[in-house]
Amino acid sequence: MAAVRETVETVGEVEKYKYGFFTDIESEKAPLGLTEDTVRFISAKKNEPEWLLEWRLAAFRRWLTMTEPTWAKVTYPPIDFQDAYYYSAPKQMAKLDSLDQVDPKLLETYAKLGIPLTEQKMLAGVAVDAVFDSVSVVTTFKEKLAEVGVIFCPMSEAVQKHPELVKKYLGSVVPTSDNFYATLNSAVFSEGSFVYIPEGVRCPMELSTYFRINEKQTGQFERTLIIADKGSYVSYLEGCTAPQRDENQLHAAVVELVTHDDAEIKYSTVQNWFPGDEEGKGGVYNFVTKRGDCRGVNSKISWTQVETGSAITWKYPSCILRGDNSRGEFYSIAISNGHQQVDSGTKMIHLGRNTTSRIISKGIAAGHSSNTYRGLVSVHRKAENVRNFTQCDSLLIGDRCSAHTVPYIETKNPTAVLEHEATTSKISDDQLFYCMQRGIGEEEAVALIVNGFCRDVLQQLPMEFAVEAQKLVGISLEGSVG
Amino acid sequence: MTEKATQNFIETYERTQARLPGADSWLSRRRETAVKAFAEAGLPHRRLEEWKYTDLRQVLEKAAFAPAPAHEGAVILPDSRSAAAFAAIDRYTVVFVNGRYRADLSHTSRLPKGVELHPLVDVVHEQWARDLVERRLDDGRQAENVVDLNTALMNDGACLRIRKGVKLDKPLHLLFFTADAGASHTRNLILIENEAEATIFETHVGAEAGFANIVTDVSLAEGARLGHLKLQDEATGAVHLATMRTRLEASAHFTSFTLTLGCGVSRGQNFVLFAGEGAEAHVNGAYALRGTQHSDQFCVIDHAVPGCTSHTLFKGVLDDSSEGVFQGKVIVRPHAQKTDGRQMTQALLLSRNAAMNAKPELEIYADDVQCAHGSTVGELSRDAIFYLRSRGIPELQARQLLISAFLDEALDLVPHEMARNALKSLTDDWFAEARA
Repeated sequence: MAAVRETVETVGEVEKYKYGFFTDIESEKAPLGLTEDTVRFISAKKNEPEWLLEWRLAAFRRWLTMTEPTWAKVTYPPIDFQDAYYYSAPKQMAKLDSLDQVDPKLLETYAKLGIPLTEQKMLAGVAVDAVFDSVSVVTTFKEKLAEVGVIFCPMSEAVQKHPELVKKYLGSVVPTSDNFYATLNSAVFSEGSFVYIPEGVRCPMELSTYFRINEKQTGQFERTLIIADKGSYVSYLEGCTAPQRDENQLHAAVVELVTHDDAEIKYSTVQNWFPGDEEGKGGVYNFVTKRGDCRGVNSKISWTQVETGSAITWKYPSCILRGDNSRGEFYSIAISNGHQQVDSGTKMIHLGRNTTSRIISKGIAAGHSSNTYRGLVSVHRKAENVRNFTQCDSLLIGDRCSAHTVPYIETKNPTAVLEHEATTSKISDDQLFYCMQRGIGEEEAVALIVNGFCRDVLQQLPMEFAVEAQKLVGISLEGSVG
Repeated sequence: MTEKATQNFIETYERTQARLPGADSWLSRRRETAVKAFAEAGLPHRRLEEWKYTDLRQVLEKAAFAPAPAHEGAVILPDSRSAAAFAAIDRYTVVFVNGRYRADLSHTSRLPKGVELHPLVDVVHEQWARDLVERRLDDGRQAENVVDLNTALMNDGACLRIRKGVKLDKPLHLLFFTADAGASHTRNLILIENEAEATIFETHVGAEAGFANIVTDVSLAEGARLGHLKLQDEATGAVHLATMRTRLEASAHFTSFTLTLGCGVSRGQNFVLFAGEGAEAHVNGAYALRGTQHSDQFCVIDHAVPGCTSHTLFKGVLDDSSEGVFQGKVIVRPHAQKTDGRQMTQALLLSRNAAMNAKPELEIYADDVQCAHGSTVGELSRDAIFYLRSRGIPELQARQLLISAFLDEALDLVPHEMARNALKSLTDDWFAEARA
């Protein structure tokens, strides 16, 4: 990974000089802890305009008055927010000469996922030779996007190049006062993606952070903003199916989506961060605020997520269905194994007329893990003819894990039709017996059955992801049977 | 700073504690602990997850109930259908006026041998009553905030003990009548011993604005059976808070049904704890609300042991600006394998201003279980109305037919046939009144 970044950085150098900022970031690090100075430091590093600094400071002051949320069904030792660095130059990973030096466990996983060799090297941080021409990849897709007027760049670049857009939309879906972690993110966010799809444009390719290799190490406070203008469409992929070697413990990202009239955003996530070891030590805390705002009529936002990593997940991708006839969708697979704790779900807030939403959530708990679905469907007084369907199924593997369902259903309009159903069960012995009797190993059989259980969600994933995600489902459950 | 309503209750306690039942016994110490805990926690409010949709603190702050006076002398029961709902059924009757037992109005002669029925004051010295109040046998604590208030101030209640193998031949009818405005705290204790059986009706009526805080502690021993039916039709100015905590030993069977028609604000809390294998609980209910009524059904089923079955169904019809709430939770503890837990809630909104909040929860720590819950909210199907009208049935009648059919699904689960028909005619009347 490091090598690739270098290549990209070399190319990036040209741009950096052109804009005169980003000088000498490698050697600098904000002092330990979080104070107003840290916020000023980050803002100055990014050469941000005055209004953004003020915005960050307001968020920071607000954050000081807030307390950590405790309502989620997760337990973890208290986080010392003063014992962390909030800005540091991207970490340089130890360079390895060949794949032989990589942890064989990691290689095994890559092989199972079917990741090409070059990619494997990249992910594991092995020096990749010049054949893997990431530069050309980057430039070709940039050209293609520019042709149709799509803006796809790092957040810090957007602040410089498109301040009017950023100013207009940043924080308009997730306000700085939203919740503890979102407020913290507003104060100290360092990087993220910015996407703007102009009116009537159907984005010619699926945008992915995966392509934006130069932004690989976006740090723990990512801020993503995607705007789909009238009649446009974009599919955005976030994350990576391969396990990432990530050093950050706390991830508090914010994702904001805005759709105008007739626009559609499809946002897919595959998250496979370090879940901690067998004893439940370590692992990433994934405290993310994701929200989409269907502002225009006939607009649509669809969230698809495959959550298999992280020690603790606290994540509720939501839709505010403001525009008439707008539609929100949420498809989720949450797999927890070992000592993982997942508290995830969605909020569908129906404000406009004829708005519809669909929630399909599949939770799979194994080992000692705990898996919670927490969702809200709310219909406001003026939202006529709302339709919602919610289905959340849980599968338990083993008798030491737990699965919880906490749905909230609030209606203030009689024309709304809301349906909610949830089931909890285990893998049936009959199914397992059937598979094994035909010579399929137990672990493989479980993976097969679980994949069938998740089918409704896996089908929603873009092709590139779907295949790997299916394999990922099997891998995540390894060691859960027998 | 303690808010006014909480303070009022504490003052009432300080003023009356010497006169409350069991003042010279273990109970006074228990009351002391309870009032301290209550003073600390205060009345529940909407920032507590369990009270998210019903802010009791705000309601009682506004209404500011004084303690209900003791009502002596003649009492005329209201001439309402609800008060007379069970009149045709051969039954034992125990009457409480303003939360106090009235022997002169009750009919409990010729109870079978092995059936003991007393007001609270007569049983506080008995060990079984103490066990129930202190809930020594339960590890979990439920709804402690409002129960503490009740424990501190409880001054009467029906205490029923049925000895081993005895079957109560007729239903026992507890009639609670509010003759004067004010707050009352009632504690009912029910112990059904091994293989014994009973059916209990409970009616709450009154034209006055009272605050009724009722806690019913039930213990069902091995193989015991209890059918419980509650009808609540109090005045719209009234606040009704009922907590029922039931503990089931192995193979015990519990069926409960609550019909809610009255009260400005009502909350029914049902806690079921399975303590022995093979037990079964059916907790069902229906409600029909109008005006600005608010009703909250709260239900926690705790499967602490393997092999138990629980079914919950609550159905409601909401008219005008009324608000319905259902909060349910099925907990399956580790090792409680072979659990069958089902929970369903359905609401029908008849008016533009009605609102429904539902929160059916599952909390599961065992894998070999069958658990499911469902929730639906909607209005009357336009297609169904059209179908009926196209066959010559006037709209009003068509609506009534559909609403009755909707509620009947729940009412069919009432554990006593005659009572079932009585409740069905009550809900039919409810709709007729609405259109009168």
